[in-house]
Amino acid sequence: MIYADKNTGVIVCGATGNQGSFHIDRMNQYAQSIGGRGVVAGVTPGKGGQEVHGVPVYNSIQEAADARDASAAVLFVPGSAAGDSIMEAADAGLDLVVTITEHIPVHDVMNAVTYANIRGCRVIGPNCPGLFSPGEISMGIMPAHLASRGPVGVISRSGTLTYEVVHELTRAGIGQSTIIGIGGDPIIGQTFADALDLFADDPKTRAVVILGELGGNLEEEGARAAQIPVVAFIAGTTAPAEKRMGHAGAIVTGGEGDANAKISRLKNIGVPVADRLSQIPSLISEVL
Amino acid sequence: MKLKEYEAKEILSNAGIRIPRGIHVKKGNEFVVAPDIKKAVVKAQVEVAGRGKAGGILMADNSQVQETAEKLFQASIKGVFVEEILIEEQLDIQHEYYLSITIDRSKKAPVILFTSEGGVDIEEVAQKNPDAIRKATVYPLLTKVPGYTIRYLLNGAPKEIGPVIQKLYSVFMNRDALLAEINPLVMTPDGLYAADAKLILDDNALARLGISENRDLSERERQADAYGFSFVELSGNIGVIGNGAGLTMATVDLINNMGGKPANFLDVGGGADRVRVAHAVRLLGSMPDVSVIIVNLLGGITRCDEVASGIIEAGVSQKIIVRLAGTNEKEGKAILLSKGYLMLETMEEAVKAAVEAAS
Repeated sequence: MIYADKNTGVIVCGATGNQGSFHIDRMNQYAQSIGGRGVVAGVTPGKGGQEVHGVPVYNSIQEAADARDASAAVLFVPGSAAGDSIMEAADAGLDLVVTITEHIPVHDVMNAVTYANIRGCRVIGPNCPGLFSPGEISMGIMPAHLASRGPVGVISRSGTLTYEVVHELTRAGIGQSTIIGIGGDPIIGQTFADALDLFADDPKTRAVVILGELGGNLEEEGARAAQIPVVAFIAGTTAPAEKRMGHAGAIVTGGEGDANAKISRLKNIGVPVADRLSQIPSLISEVL
Repeated sequence: MKLKEYEAKEILSNAGIRIPRGIHVKKGNEFVVAPDIKKAVVKAQVEVAGRGKAGGILMADNSQVQETAEKLFQASIKGVFVEEILIEEQLDIQHEYYLSITIDRSKKAPVILFTSEGGVDIEEVAQKNPDAIRKATVYPLLTKVPGYTIRYLLNGAPKEIGPVIQKLYSVFMNRDALLAEINPLVMTPDGLYAADAKLILDDNALARLGISENRDLSERERQADAYGFSFVELSGNIGVIGNGAGLTMATVDLINNMGGKPANFLDVGGGADRVRVAHAVRLLGSMPDVSVIIVNLLGGITRCDEVASGIIEAGVSQKIIVRLAGTNEKEGKAILLSKGYLMLETMEEAVKAAVEAAS
């Protein structure tokens, strides 16, 4: 598994909101079932001193990290506040921030991800389902019952597509080491390349499924440098041409981003690409 | 959200970039062009690529401006009717440059593009002579473009362009822009002017920019947006409801691959309840071409019993094919089966049934 394990103490930001409170409960139910530390603190400015499902709430990430020996955070804060929370987490010395929040202005993400990088803090997301390592840790909103423990890593830009594939893998008797949703926004923290690097060094992972979609070129970039067997699926092959951002977008990417072109490039570098989700388990069995 | 040329130019002008003298006129309004503007260019304010070639930009002497404007207001540019025009003084063009700033996804930073070969089809330049276009990323937390970056971009082009780059960069940062483009940036005996400009703003930042409504959305897309759906209209007859962009997109792909024609893309978002699902089903039910609706939901936080109640509550006339997996799956299935709905176990089975029902 990568990024975090049983012993990671997790802070949830936006702890007193609907989503935050609901998922603190779910993450801790999972932590209890496997004997992990789980969520040890919540943060909501102005609500310090309260409790959410038995978890103490603090006013700032720094206070929470100091009081409860936490090294990672999951963000359920509103989009307008999320860039700020990422920087706060980095400043408090956390190693990892999983940003579930969607609709964050892209300039905020760009600045916050850059700042976190300077401070040595990894950002997963935004606009992602988070991180799930069966038998180790749940940091996000992935449904635990679909997953099973095993040698396959999953990296995805989409939430429910991930669940669908994890479900297929589990039904085919193929377990997972870590499932990571890197998010669907134009700018994200951890990329396919970053996660693939970590998977390559992880003794528990023997192959990785990457689930991409149209737009950008992060899938090819990651697969090209991967030091571990990779199988891919790309969504959006029949989507209407992406609403283009004038001329500059096309020039910057050199016309990359189209889902079919992406699939050809992946095949050219020797990556098996599934036409349908249901083919993924058999493609993975071949590379294992 | 895309801004119109005159709106973008107003913002550039406020940032200190010079724009041609001119006026913005709405259809039906009277206007007077300053007598000392001898030669004018009359430009349709429409969102059409290749506007000039499609007849959206006309030249006129002062005496012909009224007539030319009238002609443009009667025209449609590639099917788009002209509601607004911009009348500007023609510039005495000595040279045309191209300047733009956008976001480089893989570098996670703003990227500035500049070339001395402006004014023509810039994508053609990018293909035929890529070395003519200089590209430089700016480290995100910097508030100004460093001098060495500007020197690299200009590559010997006039130094006066440096401050224009700096000003366009501040617009890009302060306005939450995804694209800020001046094409062409024109050198005249009187200095530099932005002859055309394009600004695209981040839809997620509209609230803090003081913009209450996203004009880029169609009426149905606006309705969907109000419910928190992500919605795109396509041209087929199979209505598609999914949760999560990736799964919904994969459903649309599978319909196409199996020979069907999706009518739309509708992602209901996470944790959809009865009311939201009912709205989604009704929205598709109201589309005249939709003959079958497929609902493909896989929920972590989405409760299948809520989804089932929503589908029934919507009460639309079209046939609905459902695939549900996740929390309270059994309860959801029981509700739908009791009302005679077609329930299928996997996504492929459900799509196959929808394609057959629609053909």
